[in-house]
Amino acid sequence: MTASATTRQRAYNVERIVGLVGGLIFAVSAFFPWAYGHEALDDMAYFGSPSPLQWFAVVMALALINCLAASLLEPTLNNSTGFLKLLGRISKRFGWIRGARALAIGMLAYAVLAILAVALELNGLVNLEMGAWVALVGAGIAFGSSMMLPTGRAPFLERIPSYPVLEIATIALLLMGMLFASAYALSQEDGGTFLMVLVFIGALAGFAIGSGFGSWVATAGRRHRTVLVSSAFLVAFLFPFTQNGSDANMSIATQVLIFAATAVGLNIVVGLAGLLDLGYIAFLGAGAFTAAVLSESAFATINWHPPFIVVMLLSGCISATLGLIIGSPTLRVSGDYLAIVTLAFGEIFRITMNNLDGSSGPNLVHGSSGIPAIPNLNFFGFDFGQSHVVAGIELGRFANYFFLMLVIMSIIILVFTRLNHSRIGRGWVAIREDERAAEAMGVNVFGLKLLAFAGGAFLAGFAGAVKAHVDVSVVPDQYVFLESAFLLAAIVLGGMGTVMGVLLGATLLKLVPEKLRFMSDYRMLIFGLLMVVMMRFRPEGIIPNQRRALEFHVDDEELVEDVEERLPYEFVEFEEVPA
Amino acid sequence: MTFLDPLINGLSLGSLYALIAVGYTVVYGIVQLINFAHGEIFMVGAFGALSTWIVLGQASANLSWWMLPLMLVGGMVVGVTVAVLMERFAYRPLRHAPRLAPLITAIGISVFLQEFVRLFYGAIPGFPDAKAAVVFPQIEFFTGPAIEFGGAVIQRATFFTLGALAVSWAFLWFFVNKTKIGRAMLATSQDPDTARLMGIDVNRIITIAFAVGAALAAIAGTAHGLRYGNIDFKMGFLAGLKAFTAAVLGGIGNINGAVVGGLVLGVVESLATVYVPGQFGGAAWKDVWAFVLLIIVLVFRPQGIMGAKVVDRA
Repeated sequence: MTASATTRQRAYNVERIVGLVGGLIFAVSAFFPWAYGHEALDDMAYFGSPSPLQWFAVVMALALINCLAASLLEPTLNNSTGFLKLLGRISKRFGWIRGARALAIGMLAYAVLAILAVALELNGLVNLEMGAWVALVGAGIAFGSSMMLPTGRAPFLERIPSYPVLEIATIALLLMGMLFASAYALSQEDGGTFLMVLVFIGALAGFAIGSGFGSWVATAGRRHRTVLVSSAFLVAFLFPFTQNGSDANMSIATQVLIFAATAVGLNIVVGLAGLLDLGYIAFLGAGAFTAAVLSESAFATINWHPPFIVVMLLSGCISATLGLIIGSPTLRVSGDYLAIVTLAFGEIFRITMNNLDGSSGPNLVHGSSGIPAIPNLNFFGFDFGQSHVVAGIELGRFANYFFLMLVIMSIIILVFTRLNHSRIGRGWVAIREDERAAEAMGVNVFGLKLLAFAGGAFLAGFAGAVKAHVDVSVVPDQYVFLESAFLLAAIVLGGMGTVMGVLLGATLLKLVPEKLRFMSDYRMLIFGLLMVVMMRFRPEGIIPNQRRALEFHVDDEELVEDVEERLPYEFVEFEEVPA
Repeated sequence: MTFLDPLINGLSLGSLYALIAVGYTVVYGIVQLINFAHGEIFMVGAFGALSTWIVLGQASANLSWWMLPLMLVGGMVVGVTVAVLMERFAYRPLRHAPRLAPLITAIGISVFLQEFVRLFYGAIPGFPDAKAAVVFPQIEFFTGPAIEFGGAVIQRATFFTLGALAVSWAFLWFFVNKTKIGRAMLATSQDPDTARLMGIDVNRIITIAFAVGAALAAIAGTAHGLRYGNIDFKMGFLAGLKAFTAAVLGGIGNINGAVVGGLVLGVVESLATVYVPGQFGGAAWKDVWAFVLLIIVLVFRPQGIMGAKVVDRA
């Protein structure tokens, strides 16, 4: 080893130790009061007895200390023998510095957010106690030193041998954790507390991904797909039982599910086939209006009330027909035209619905006042409007619809994943990536595009039919362009072409505004800015489809290798055959 | 009512569309990008013109004719600044990204600009709250009593709008065909790589294209204010959509096409309001007819009225 390399090594050790100290300071600060008053966040005014939010700070600090200590001790462990040597070899597989960096960023955001929230909620910076400032200093030190450390190697935890029991147990534990975390986050009435819980969860997720634990879980999830899917479904199913009969959060959760189901449907069109549909909300609206007009509401204009299953299928078919009418002329021309024509179609739909009021057109939907008083669904005597007591826990109206939406959601996800992995899905990806090449390879470009478009519309109609009953009334102004933009944003934010990403994006986009009512006026402003910033810095979304991510980062060779490695087939490079 | 009334009304409306449509077309011709946020430049330009009047003329309730050129300049400065910033910070980094990325960015910018005006315009001392429609100053010379002309009643704002279109069109023709920068724009639109080899700064040309479009949109915004008497933060959305329709109608990428397309769209919309019989006529359906026209054009003549080559871009 040369002299210069040794000095560099030592210099980094200093930064590691400084970072450790920062983490310690941050952890200790949690035991001091952060705020002067009890009203701020979740009451951080006590000495020696941290509130839940302060405990979260301790957890982050400990994780950071763990990362830095492991990276500090690693060379020593590797030079020793026996058990310590084994520890060193395990430690080598983690990306400690990357994990520490994510945590330090999270800690800094956490401290800044806490200070802002306390200052806002108690009117003024004077209400901050020393603990908050100490936390900020600690986080700042940890952030600075972790930024100065070299990133180090990428973690390669996913290549260790498989231990099925351990993997399944981890998946189950993680999902249970998610259930409790979401129940806990939702039960926070205070907007600032809610945001801080989100930052905490984000920091932990960043730590998991950075240190390599995330990719290990992802590999485990791929190995035990059935376990993952069924336990995720089970967790979602159990969620209403954590709410103790309260319908407030269930109403949000049901709206999130409807939104997410629609977004997954749109993801078939945008994420898989690469067709930008800016009027997708109109298909949801078409489904909702069909269901409303055929419902037993006193304001329904058609005197035919078939069972709901029929109504749902009919809603889907009507939406799909509209999709065909709009798609068949425009899918032949360029993608930009499709975007603008669908946008125009969304407007046509809204204006038409507003005009079908008896004076500007035939009276079908009572114009801008829409169809109110849509009765609850009733399946074979099961009334969705009634509360039911199951295992001693009361489940209200929204919980009933939540279960229904869960079933519809799983149908939509099933359709999405099966299509994605079928010949049709590969055709869509081919079209998305290069239309002409796909056509030359014998892909039926126009037919597949039309199928994606009409299929997406069908699913939206499906979801719309349920939405009509959940919302009780259907009004044209619920189906404006901004809603389409929101759906698109859910996909962009979460990650195009993946189910998980869209679920995450939809949840964030619906949930955060509900909880942050105090800044509802700035909601759209932030939303617009977020779209621009996302496209600039991470166009592939939070949880990207890897093939999709590749399209945005063609020059990233590491990513190219990574994607090729995970493909189910191999690239074969043909050697030139001498003539 | 004669046939002339809706025709002239349609031409006036159409020249508004045409002024905005030119912005879509100029940018598209050079970077093949549909700048969806262009409608918001129209809105921002109108607010810029209004601000100029508030600063210079409101105190003395000055409604003389010479306020209008000042307002136009103010609107253009604001519109051009926003457009150039938008190009520099939002679109330029995405120039080689897949086509979906700039489209989504544009939606984001669009929402952002609308909300920015809605939330913060009224926060400037002395400026009216922009959360609802804001009254636009009625410059007497351009909005006074209507003029009777050969049996038709013509609003004065109509003269201004048509005149603005004519002057802008002439200016644009001169700019594109006779000046060095204009010829550089033509060269870049035909072949950006060769243009760069010939010493043309392509980035600068793209910025200029955005600026020219923004200036015309700001004129349209001012004209809109004179014509309707008020402006609001939402007006860019529908106007932008209609103007895009006009650009496609005329053949996107073609400046003359945008002008013709705008005029045709305005006239069709105006005539449809009057002549479509029964319940589907009237003002309530005019937007629907405009968009139906767009879809029909895309089916039968995707290259538009004046477009020469078949548009075939994935």
